[in-house]
Amino acid sequence: MKLCEFLRPASLSAARDNLRELGTKGMILAGGTALHFMQDHTPVTAVDITRLGLSYIRPDGNFYRIGATTPLSDIQRYRAPRWAMHEICRRISTHQIRNVSTIGGNICRVFPWADLPVVLLAMNARMVVYSDHENEYSADEYFATQPAKRFLDGNILTSVKVPALQAHHGFGSVKVSRTTAAFSMVTIAAVLELDGSIIQSARIAAGSAIPFPRRLPNVEAALVGKEAVSEVFKEASTKAARDVPWRSCEGQSPEYSQHLAEVSILDALERAATFAHGRAE
Amino acid sequence: MKKNPQTVQFTINGESKTFITEPDEKLLDLLRREGYKGAKFGCGQGTCGSCTVLMDGRAVYSCLLYAMQVEGHEIRTIESIGTHDNPSEFQQELIDGGAVQCGYCIPGMIMSATALMENETHFDDETVREYMDGNLCRCTGYEKIWSALRRVLDRQEAQNTQS
Ligand SMILES: Cc1cc2nc3c(=O)[nH]c(=O)nc-3n(C[C@H](O)[C@H](O)[C@H](O)COP(=O)(O)OP(=O)(O)OC[C@H]3O[C@@H](n4cnc5c(N)ncnc54)[C@H](O)[C@@H]3O)c2cc1C
Ligand code: FES
Ligand code: FES
Repeated sequence: MKLCEFLRPASLSAARDNLRELGTKGMILAGGTALHFMQDHTPVTAVDITRLGLSYIRPDGNFYRIGATTPLSDIQRYRAPRWAMHEICRRISTHQIRNVSTIGGNICRVFPWADLPVVLLAMNARMVVYSDHENEYSADEYFATQPAKRFLDGNILTSVKVPALQAHHGFGSVKVSRTTAAFSMVTIAAVLELDGSIIQSARIAAGSAIPFPRRLPNVEAALVGKEAVSEVFKEASTKAARDVPWRSCEGQSPEYSQHLAEVSILDALERAATFAHGRAE
Repeated sequence: MKKNPQTVQFTINGESKTFITEPDEKLLDLLRREGYKGAKFGCGQGTCGSCTVLMDGRAVYSCLLYAMQVEGHEIRTIESIGTHDNPSEFQQELIDGGAVQCGYCIPGMIMSATALMENETHFDDETVREYMDGNLCRCTGYEKIWSALRRVLDRQEAQNTQS
């Protein structure tokens, strides 16, 4: 993308009007760190949405609401009871990138290596999109295809609602990468709902080494109604190949990707069980 | 000649200034053009850290930010940290420890360390790594850079506990 004009609208409705007027010549700009990956040199007018009061994190009923332009470093530093979003944010690139990249930028145009869609899918988060009014989408709906398509008509993601995990919920995420700041070889996130030691429901999602972040229904089905113990987790992780063809990524073979996914699922499930039984905050 | 001149106003090393830029000019290019040559172009893609500056006290890569994005913000570059005759504590430790080889990465390292020292009070290894792992040294002088920084941080932490 080549920026030819730069607009700083004063309100959300002004930003939407700017974008509608510009059509395909307009582009929302948050942190701007992804433009480097969009090397097609199409001339665009940048509509800067970082001054619209969309950078915040606050409790909101049964959710934590994260404003769309909140930098990843703020999410990493935020602490609240059973807050879990910081784990994955710490693992995204370097602190210089996290100080600028926003949650909205990470999930409005999903790149193959994006880590947040995986976690938000597992968490069953809700995405709030502003057009003339605000519409809410479940993570399953929002990430069913490339979300960028949703933002062609001047729509703007305004916030993400992350469910507040309850005492019987467990969360675990695993990102495997060669170095701290490298892209993911595989990312897995798991949320378990327990009744005593029995798994009531499970949401397991994966990203990288597959074409697009998604849930793993066969793995989930192998968990529900079973005891939250290592043998069950191990058996469930072997179902990963039924859900999606694992592909080569970051120099690894498809077989290796699948193996990595299986051990990462096991690891994420163990972490989720530990979390449910009371983790050290 | 500029094709689509625009102005951007921000505070640079404590002084409020207005610059002429273009929508697609990166902050690093503007800074270097205006004489703030301490920030270096290394990779131009957000991986090496040699272009690190502080924006409102947080370390950022100036090669990724568009100059227009920093309107109204406070930018600090290496030029605000010590001088040849009066180096900062970390700069002096780098010199004493023989930690500087070609020196290309050093301004970025110092800016990340400045963000660390100004934003944190406890400097356990994990926190230090978190602030420093976005800065690469092609001369691979990490050990000496780390030791020089550790000496400064240990002193600062001791002072923090006393006060
Ligand atoms: C070197 C490097 C390494 C990285 N490594 C990782 C990694 O390992 N894992 C990872 O997850 N991420 C990683 N990232 C970050 C990621 O790739 C994106 O750069 C980042 O998430 C984009 O956020 P941004 O705020 O800068 O968005 P921008 O670049 O401003 O925008 C990105 C896209 O989203 C659109 N957009 C932004 N906000 C909104 C909104 N509110 N509503 C509608 N559309 C919007 C924009 O129009 C644009 O199309 C890395 C980035 C870099 C530069
Ligand atoms: S030049 Fe900016 S990170 Fe390398
Ligand atoms: S001293 Fe040469 S790159 Fe670090």
